[in-house]
Amino acid sequence: MCRALIVFFVLLNGCVREPVRTVTMTDDLGRAVQLEGVPDRLVSLAPSVTELIYAAGGQSKLVGVTTADDYPPDVHHLTRISALPVDFEAILTLDPDLVLASEQVNGPNDAATLAAVHVPTYFVSVANLDDVFRAIRTLGTLLDTEAVAHGNADSLQRAHDRLRLRTQEIEHRPSTLFLISDVTLYSFGHGSYMHELINIAGGRSITADLTTRAPVLTDEFVLAQQPDIIVGSFGADFKPEHLLLHHPTWDVLGAVESGRVYALEASYFLRPGPRLVEGAWQLARVLHPDLEP
Amino acid sequence: MKGWYALLGFLLCASVAMATALGDTVSLRDVGHVIWYHLSFGQTQPADLIADRIVWQLRLPRAILAIVVGGGLAIVGTSMQALVRNPLAEPYILGISSGASAGASLFFLGFLPPLISKGLSMPLAAFAGGLLAITIVYAVAGRNSRLSVARLLLAGVAVAALMASVTSFVSLSSPEPDKLRAVLFWLMGSLHNATWAVLPWPTIATLIGFGILFMLARSLDAMLLGEESAHNLGVRVELIKRLLIVLAALVTGSIVAASGAIGFVGLIVPHAVRMVTGVTHRRVLPACFMAGALFLLWADLAARLLLPGEQLPVGIVTALCGVPFFLFLLGRSNYGFGG
Repeated sequence: MCRALIVFFVLLNGCVREPVRTVTMTDDLGRAVQLEGVPDRLVSLAPSVTELIYAAGGQSKLVGVTTADDYPPDVHHLTRISALPVDFEAILTLDPDLVLASEQVNGPNDAATLAAVHVPTYFVSVANLDDVFRAIRTLGTLLDTEAVAHGNADSLQRAHDRLRLRTQEIEHRPSTLFLISDVTLYSFGHGSYMHELINIAGGRSITADLTTRAPVLTDEFVLAQQPDIIVGSFGADFKPEHLLLHHPTWDVLGAVESGRVYALEASYFLRPGPRLVEGAWQLARVLHPDLEP
Repeated sequence: MKGWYALLGFLLCASVAMATALGDTVSLRDVGHVIWYHLSFGQTQPADLIADRIVWQLRLPRAILAIVVGGGLAIVGTSMQALVRNPLAEPYILGISSGASAGASLFFLGFLPPLISKGLSMPLAAFAGGLLAITIVYAVAGRNSRLSVARLLLAGVAVAALMASVTSFVSLSSPEPDKLRAVLFWLMGSLHNATWAVLPWPTIATLIGFGILFMLARSLDAMLLGEESAHNLGVRVELIKRLLIVLAALVTGSIVAASGAIGFVGLIVPHAVRMVTGVTHRRVLPACFMAGALFLLWADLAARLLLPGEQLPVGIVTALCGVPFFLFLLGRSNYGFGG
């Protein structure tokens, strides 16, 4: 009887503690991703995803990032792989158990190639600020670092809520043009998170109603919209004269005449990741210089 | 014939007026106000400044650039067709445009030194690229005294692909992403860079090209009969051939430096024009210039109005019209210079 019980418990134990636990998770593209245990060798296919992994507390599991990664500074110690186009061979040599990709940057076909060599890919989609907080928490669950992830997501959300409170009473919302580059007028169109950033920064985006997602604006459009403020991810060495050199007709724009043309650091705005919140604060300080911190 | 020129001239004026007036950003009243202010040399009440910039600094130079580029490409197309005695020839198909855009983008990305002023170096680099491309194509196609059409078109396609690869390679290897985007413009062809300052070089080159071609009109007619017949008629065939090649590269180069590689204008327009005027170049050339200008004005208007507020390269529109036309001509068993 006693022996029988012991055998039973051993068997039961064996059933409960399988050598690997297979989990199926659904990623942001609705794909079923099968994981064997908690992944501990991660490759990130986009700088924004890398930043989300750091925010979720999973940085110690990262073994590879893209050649475009530069934040946080720690990433410089990690192996670099090309993400556009994806260098599959370099990824395989890192022997990852999960590749994390961004819907906004990577194509689903890349996942098919990786699946063929039995490397699972999990897609994160960040189309607005709520997605940022949600993605951090989900990654926390995925990487078994929930405490850190929830802590960071909560504090980002608090920073976001604080800004929304500061700006919601503002009566005059300056019309704002956000440009990605100053020679060719790339901007954000339909459904972009940029309009939300400008909105909670206390402004009004003039490109929100354009039908395409990544429009190239005409000089005429900008003249007709007459933005109060032009903000661009032009980088630190930008000079406002440069804008007039390429778009000489803009000399009559209110934003140019009153000197309200600002260059901000691109990575706060072009990466759909945790630093968008800080980007929104930077925008708010530009739109409303006397805003309380 | 006079009636046709008058009609084309009238349509051209009407189209320029439409190109400056259409678009939902400025009211027609403001457009009229701006034009009237400038036509009266500032004697009247100045118009709204924003409307002034849009109408006078953006739309009008763009319409004039469309005239210069469309007309220039059409007459270069005509001269190329006389040179190779085949109505399928055209600066874009023969690789001149791609060569010119390779030259322009190499200069833009800093791979070629600025020789003279910056304004002139770009057309010069485009001219050199275009000349290189057409020289290669012509040398390959005309190896055994008789020019083979199949070889000409194939060589044109090959050289165009080669030049486009050069452009893509240098732009992709360029460390500055903003410049990469700008180079796309030379590959696609667009008139959005038009300002008054851009206009002089393409205009001068096109006028020179038109003048010389018009003077050579009789020789071009003779060339259509074949080189031997032309020689017997007293035409200095070799000299004319070289002149035509250099002219084509000069006009196309200056145009491409301002507008990128816009295709198929030089193919569609001479065809349509010859149906009305016959093949005599003294008639074909002026009509081609006007019809080419008209075609590009309308194509650019379509490109502007299809995506309001955003840029749609006009090269896409001309290719959408031009490629089916080209395939139709290619499919006909006996294409020729008739009507």
